[in-house]
Amino acid sequence: MTDIPVLEITNVEKHFGGLVALDSVNAAVESGKLTAIIGPNGAGKTTLFNVITGILPASAGQLKFQGQDITRKSAHEISRLGLARTLQIKSVFNGMTVRENLWIAAQSRDGVFKPFQRASKSKRANETADRICEELGLSALANQEASNLSYGDIALLEIGLALATEPKLLLLDEPICGMGPAETEQTVAKIQELAKRIDIVIIEHDIEVVFDISEDIIVMNLGQILARGTPKEIASNVAVRAAYLGDDDA
Amino acid sequence: MTPTKVHQLGIIALIVFTVAAPWVLPLFVDSFWVDIYSEMLIWSLLAASVNLLFGYVGLLSFGQALFFGMGMYGVAIGIAKMGLGFWPAFGFGTFLATAMAAVAGVFAVRLTWHYFAIITVVFSLIFYFTALSWKPLTGGDDGLPFSMPPIFTFGEDVKLSLTNTTIQYYFIALTVGLCYTLLAIVLRSPLGRAFRTVKENDMRASLIGLNVYLVRLTAFICAGFIAGVAGSLFAFFGRYASASYMFYHVSGEAVVWAIIGGVGTLLGPVVGTSLLIILREELSHVWEHYLLLVGSIVIIVVIFAPRGLGGLWHGLVNRLASRNDGTLDSSEETKL
Ligand SMILES: Nc1ncnc2c1ncn2[C@@H]1O[C@H](COP(=O)(O)OP(=O)(O)OP(=O)(O)O)[C@@H](O)[C@H]1O
Ligand SMILES: [Mg+2]
Repeated sequence: MTDIPVLEITNVEKHFGGLVALDSVNAAVESGKLTAIIGPNGAGKTTLFNVITGILPASAGQLKFQGQDITRKSAHEISRLGLARTLQIKSVFNGMTVRENLWIAAQSRDGVFKPFQRASKSKRANETADRICEELGLSALANQEASNLSYGDIALLEIGLALATEPKLLLLDEPICGMGPAETEQTVAKIQELAKRIDIVIIEHDIEVVFDISEDIIVMNLGQILARGTPKEIASNVAVRAAYLGDDDA
Repeated sequence: MTPTKVHQLGIIALIVFTVAAPWVLPLFVDSFWVDIYSEMLIWSLLAASVNLLFGYVGLLSFGQALFFGMGMYGVAIGIAKMGLGFWPAFGFGTFLATAMAAVAGVFAVRLTWHYFAIITVVFSLIFYFTALSWKPLTGGDDGLPFSMPPIFTFGEDVKLSLTNTTIQYYFIALTVGLCYTLLAIVLRSPLGRAFRTVKENDMRASLIGLNVYLVRLTAFICAGFIAGVAGSLFAFFGRYASASYMFYHVSGEAVVWAIIGGVGTLLGPVVGTSLLIILREELSHVWEHYLLLVGSIVIIVVIFAPRGLGGLWHGLVNRLASRNDGTLDSSEETKL
């Protein structure tokens, strides 16, 4: 099992009309490493996540999750297989409480087509929701409507929604964007802790954080993978410095 | 008193009123109001069907009258053309409406917002004109009358039939009550929460593993079933079926009732429907432009109380409760 990559991206392309957002992307994500994707605005990072998770169909290429072809699967099927993500533009279920948000994500594993069962009696989903509330420090807000949360707490709830589906692979799209310094520190620590039991790919603009937590960095630019390697290799890569880090003396 | 208790009291009051109406109403108003009240109960189910889609799943249908009409024709054709008894005809009407909803839903719920609204109108227009022109089966313009079969017979002497006005009233009230009970059960189930989740954010819902399409289709079929029961009841009530009840005008009226009563509240449609039918009964023959007033009410409600009278009631109860003991109750268990 360990030798097949958890995620395999082969010649994936995505076109929006004439715009090539993903241009023949090839990458394999290995299990057990925290992988980061960096790159300037508009590089195609979020688009890559959208294509992987079935939000957008790939224009060409193939995607495999744990060896299984997911190229043409829909978003909910991919989620059921154990691939979860957070969204860059934070969006949770605003009119529902924090606990209800997490509850439905957990319940989706057991199925929701149970019209004659009482929702409040779903033991596993209740427990999962409470556990994740606690894990993310949202317990005090459990009965608050999500629309009342601060931006940082919404970002945490985003992660919570993904975790409640009990994923094997978690894609995080700029999870700490908009958080204060203390929250950032906590969340980064949380992500590192999660990475011990879940495979994580993180898109992040904060280079310091990326170099600090990841073991494998993919650099994207103009829909292509520009470079890939350990933080050390990336830091010394001339092309990356020129294209992304804005290093003029390169 | 907790908000939940207040809501329970409200429901008990409504049930008591409904049970007592045949005796109590004639003490205060003309006895034809008993009939009108049973009509309100039936129509409220059509509004409830709109509310299930719009208030709980976020789909605005302007075509629910189609399923109401299917229920009506199912009963009338079942009795007048196929010689069915009371219960088989009732079952046939409801089945026809539900099946129609399954077929229309397969296409309609692929779309959202105005595209969804438009396709529901288109569907109901197609069948409206079909019903009008298919004279041998539907009676066309004249509608299809039938004579009421008994609900239940035992030997020669015991015979239960809706021709008895008291039996008719309680039959309608009981059936409508059962529909709301069923709706309440479904809404507090995992499926009911999935409805709300899809309404809140369909993209996010699919990312946590909900099959949004199937959730919407299920809701559409449930809504078709409720409208079908309403239509079947209305056929029994009027002892005929007519294409005019399938017209999108009727669908639109149900949307208005649901919005004024309060979308996303279980019993809002009963309030909205009753209020507007009373308005119609009282005003339409005194003032021919009374619809202007209805229109103004709708605009005021949409602007100032987007969750309708039901929403105002919830706000009031919650505010009183939080003033008393500082608790706020927003769980769906109490959203009645
Ligand atoms: N749904 C869409 N329709 C059309 N163009 C799109 C769509 N989504 C993304 N794009 C375009 O594709 C390109 C890549 O966008 P993407 O959001 O993937 O960038 P990103 O690397 O995530 O950038 P950022 O760091 O700003 O989040 C951009 O030029 C963007 O405008
Ligand atoms: Mg992005």
